[in-house]
Amino acid sequence: MIRTFVHLEFLKRSRSTSFARSLAIGVFLGFMALLLLCYLLLIGIGMKYIIEKVFSPESTAIFLNSYLVYFFLVEVIYRYFVQQLPVFSLESFLHLPIPKSGIIHYLLISSFISPLTIVPLLLFGPFAYLEIMPNYGGLASVVWLGSVLLTSWSIHWFMLWFKQRFEDSFIVIVVIFGVILFGSGSSYFGWFDIGAFFEPVFTFALEHAVPVVLLAVVAVCSYFLCFAFYRQNAYLEDIGDEDPYHTGAASLGFLSKFGMPGEMANLEWKLILRHKKSRTYLTLCLFFLLYGLIFYINPAYTSDEGFSYLFIFVGMFISGIFMLQYGQLFLSWNSASFDFFLHQRRGLEALVKGKYLLFAGISVICFLLSIPYAYFGWDILWIHLATFLFNMGITIHLVIFLALWKPKPMDLNKGAIFNYEGIGIAQFLMIIPMFAAPYAVFLPVAYFMGDYEGLIALGVVGLIGMIAYPKLSAISVQRVHNNKYEISSSFRQEL
Amino acid sequence: MIEVSALKKKYKEATVLDIPALSIPKSECFGLVGNNGAGKTTFFRIILDLVRATEGHVFIDGEDVGQSENWKSKVGAFLDEHMLLSYLTPDEYFDALRKIYRLSKEDLSLHLERFRDLFNDEILGKKKYIRDLSKGNLKKVGIAAAMFGNPEAVLLDEPFENLDPSSQVRLKKLILQEKELNLVTFLISSHDLNHVMEICDRIVLLEKGVIIKDLQEKSSMAGELYAYFNVT
Repeated sequence: MIRTFVHLEFLKRSRSTSFARSLAIGVFLGFMALLLLCYLLLIGIGMKYIIEKVFSPESTAIFLNSYLVYFFLVEVIYRYFVQQLPVFSLESFLHLPIPKSGIIHYLLISSFISPLTIVPLLLFGPFAYLEIMPNYGGLASVVWLGSVLLTSWSIHWFMLWFKQRFEDSFIVIVVIFGVILFGSGSSYFGWFDIGAFFEPVFTFALEHAVPVVLLAVVAVCSYFLCFAFYRQNAYLEDIGDEDPYHTGAASLGFLSKFGMPGEMANLEWKLILRHKKSRTYLTLCLFFLLYGLIFYINPAYTSDEGFSYLFIFVGMFISGIFMLQYGQLFLSWNSASFDFFLHQRRGLEALVKGKYLLFAGISVICFLLSIPYAYFGWDILWIHLATFLFNMGITIHLVIFLALWKPKPMDLNKGAIFNYEGIGIAQFLMIIPMFAAPYAVFLPVAYFMGDYEGLIALGVVGLIGMIAYPKLSAISVQRVHNNKYEISSSFRQEL
Repeated sequence: MIEVSALKKKYKEATVLDIPALSIPKSECFGLVGNNGAGKTTFFRIILDLVRATEGHVFIDGEDVGQSENWKSKVGAFLDEHMLLSYLTPDEYFDALRKIYRLSKEDLSLHLERFRDLFNDEILGKKKYIRDLSKGNLKKVGIAAAMFGNPEAVLLDEPFENLDPSSQVRLKKLILQEKELNLVTFLISSHDLNHVMEICDRIVLLEKGVIIKDLQEKSSMAGELYAYFNVT
């Protein structure tokens, strides 16, 4: 059975209409992943010496144990964003005489085959071998490493469950943000030291095998928690929660002042509110509004003179996250009804311009909401203003231009469970050129003339982009027009 | 064969299906008709446990479909193209099913032999993926897949839709033949009254999720159905 599944999965990948692109991205990502894993291994090998040289604690192992909990907190966060369940077409198998539990086991176990699984092994394996083995003995090093790995793997199952269970609800944002604050804030403000609190667990593992047994039980339990949840919800419909946005989705009346594009923006707004997937992106906006707190209160980035260049990055995110995230799947959102827009008179133009309108509107709202950050210094307000203008004038065009490169279809009506279509590391790739852009403007000016002049340059370039909006948007519209047959046929094919 | 008791499906407040009791005996050809949105497909989906019932149960040979899964090897179905693996060619799809049902290659070719007429040399041996097939041919693949592994009951949603006239006749012949020889129970929903009346022993009329007519007399079926649908 499993062999059949694996074979089918392979055929599905290799016959996808976007195979060549997926392959190119896959090779690139694979290479990046390999590079990152190599770096992690190097850090792992060097960890013992770094700790000895920089901190010179009494016992290197106990010192590391007291900081392990921070690693796991970080792991919770990166797993939340990066980890994904393999896309699996459940409805093609549910009616066949295959046990549901078999399908779910296959699904869960294949999610485990991922580079994330071996990250703790690469980081802490060398340490167990180089430091713990000579000092505490071979058994202790195995038990210690086992405890670390099992904790990490429990987090894997737990996050799979958590993400799906609370998907798109406000709780996720609160919990994840709580974890960030808890991790960075607690020892910074000196409430209490969670590192010291968890340290005995792993120190105990140096002397005794009990922790590894307990953690193995935890890992198995978390697997079955996850399994039970997915097994129970292996239906074509969503989990029976009511959908508060469905009927109450207010249309944004003022948008109709902008004519046909306004109407399209209005339609798009409804689309966003009525689909789980798009709503997640909207909540992400709120989340990134708080993102600034991590940087602005961190003493490592604040200095008496000027500001950290990193803040530009933060500013870009705060007012631009929606257009970056949502915009990457630019036309894919409409893949199910693309023929509808094609069929309307000047429908494509209105669709593209409507999206411009929506992105700009949400960007303005995010900027206004971020004004209270001025509490941390006027610099931050100026940075936000400059990056906001840059987003409105340049990023918006860049995102749309890049997103029009072979859009992929996406099924919004698919139940949100088991559906991670389009979400993954791949879309983060597009962010690279987008983040290079503001620095390409800012850094040269800041270097030759000064930081504030750099900000002014950002703002001015943004303003020029805004003035050139009719010209630049026409390019995007033209591009959609030129490729409309390709796009619509690719949208029809895979749905 | 199939027993339905106190079945209800609600979406928030709206009840889309409400069937207090229904019993479909073995080797019956059961026709389901009704206007768009009457709940035909939802009913089929609940029988197949693809959608959860809000209340009540469906039993197949005494087995609650929501509780166990043994019934799955007895029931074949084709409701829509999501039940197929559209990225395979028909041959590959049948081969994948063969592995899932644990049949031998001989079994498979025997099975496909029955569909030779229906397929009309347009399905097998072609290098076309299912997603690129025409709607009619896609339906033929789905129907052949639904009858895989000699099921005791087969559920088909709009089987005649998109088929050309000669294929429609062939399909009818096939259904009657399966019923005679292998005592297969068929559940068929359709908008084509003539076809269902021709092959079905019993026709149930759904309106807004409620059974309003349960016609078992061949002689009076036509009159009652024509009267309801306002066609003459």
